[in-house]
Amino acid sequence: MIGIAGWITFIVLFVIFTLLGFYGARWRKGDLTNLHEWALAGRRLGTFLAWFLIGADLYTAYTFVAVPSGMFASGALYFFAVPYVATAFMVAMVTMPRLWQWSREKGYVTAADMVQDRFSSRVLAGLIALTGIIAELPYIALQIIGMQAVLGIMLLGVTKNVSLITDIALTVSFIILAAFTFTSGLRGATLGAVLKDTLIFLAVIALIIVVPLRYGGFASAFTDAQNFASALAAKHITWLGTGITNLKSVASLEAGYTTLWMGSTFALFLYPHAINGSLSASGKRQLAMSNALLPIYGIGLALLSLLGLLVYSDSGAMQMLSNFPLSSRGIYSIPALALTSLPGWFAGIALLGIFIGGLVPAAIMAISQANLLTRNIIKPLYPNIKPETETRISKWASVIFKFIALGFVFLVPATYAIQLQLLGGIIILQTLPSVFLGLVTKKLHKYALIAGWAVGILSGIYLVELANRFGPLSTSLFPVGGYLLWIGLLALGFNLAIAVILSIPTLFKKQI
Amino acid sequence: MQGSNVKNKNTANKVIAFILLIIPWITYLWINSYNKAEPPLFGLTFFYWYQTVWLAISAILFAVAAVLIYWSEKN
Repeated sequence: MIGIAGWITFIVLFVIFTLLGFYGARWRKGDLTNLHEWALAGRRLGTFLAWFLIGADLYTAYTFVAVPSGMFASGALYFFAVPYVATAFMVAMVTMPRLWQWSREKGYVTAADMVQDRFSSRVLAGLIALTGIIAELPYIALQIIGMQAVLGIMLLGVTKNVSLITDIALTVSFIILAAFTFTSGLRGATLGAVLKDTLIFLAVIALIIVVPLRYGGFASAFTDAQNFASALAAKHITWLGTGITNLKSVASLEAGYTTLWMGSTFALFLYPHAINGSLSASGKRQLAMSNALLPIYGIGLALLSLLGLLVYSDSGAMQMLSNFPLSSRGIYSIPALALTSLPGWFAGIALLGIFIGGLVPAAIMAISQANLLTRNIIKPLYPNIKPETETRISKWASVIFKFIALGFVFLVPATYAIQLQLLGGIIILQTLPSVFLGLVTKKLHKYALIAGWAVGILSGIYLVELANRFGPLSTSLFPVGGYLLWIGLLALGFNLAIAVILSIPTLFKKQI
Repeated sequence: MQGSNVKNKNTANKVIAFILLIIPWITYLWINSYNKAEPPLFGLTFFYWYQTVWLAISAILFAVAAVLIYWSEKN
């Protein structure tokens, strides 16, 4: 149990977070009836703040929940998140500054704005926008699941009605979040991001020092994990099947590891929230430098994922986890470790960090979804709407998207939402030809891009279903000739091939 | 003539930047070089610490590349 001191630090810091969120409206004041002021914080974030804000897109429940949980259950395969963050920011460094410059010159707020201009197709832009909106939904749901995990651990043994109280607390938090995002826009989220990441850094550093020292280091954690897996193997349950001390040295798994990080690398900066964060930078240099330095942020992610294995050496935390079913135990591993290995008041800080670590990204994601809806779906249908109306629609849409995601979590089991996020990554990657290739060429034909997109999406979904034998989703790797390949990259291959081949006739025609 | 010197210098900078940017990719793609447990560092197996250390190295390489590419242009 977290104790009274823990509850006090948790609640006091949540109040500070809320105040910061509302204060955002006055910070670097701008006319918040302009969409770029509300949604891009007036494009005024320097290297330091852009680093925090874009970093906030990375340090989400994906980091605290999905990756450690994967390490906990499946093993070393999930360390793919480390090479992924190293190279994702290299991709950002070469793509985002150009998009930033065009968006400043031509007033773009979304990547779909750029696509519409480059390929003169509102249909293509609308499809790109729709893909972004749909891919973000399970991502927001994942944030909420991370917050649920924090509350679930905090309320364990305090009350019998854990799920009811959790739902109430989540709803209240989302009302507060929606209110300050509505009034402050991205400014509120940025200030929240600085607080959140400071707390998280503190917590990660404390945990990675305390846990190995207290429980006999990594070597004994690996042994404990092995014993846990062996005990389950006796009951014919596969556990930690991809390796503990390192990835199992088989070609099929190594191919899976490599294609997972490569594919995720190309996908990250296609997500609307990552693009939204990039466009809010104050200049190309600031944007490039903050991205260049973001792999440092990934060190925290590496440490967090290792905690997913270190938890095996902490018998107190393992005891706590045994209250939850085996399949969802992993998502509680970081909150449980915080509780058992830190003093109560510090555990409160760490848990609040993880809690708002879900809230801040959820706010940025909903803002970016709202921008896509107004700019690339509503505006093409009603071209005469005024800028103020556009902003008003965006503000309300950001509220609605948050509550759609919350409703989704209330209706769908947690493990299912995490699996849908896998699908989100595959889907968003299919916007690569239009967005990233659009940055270097406009020679691809709009209908070829649309056809490629459709083939990419359909083949991606079909292969996921096939790999999981049309049952519950548990893998996103597909076996091809003895190698496991990430389906997102396979589908992207089909997508690119169609987009390029169907563009050839028109290229040829123009040359004559 | 000075114009073409500046242009040559920019091209050279971009080539160097490209090489710096590509080094982490090669490192991580060469999975056989790091998918092993030995030698450990503070009890942590090679697979984990090597990839984590490369995050810091990547950041340094990228920062130098960012200066080479974007500091020669107008901000």
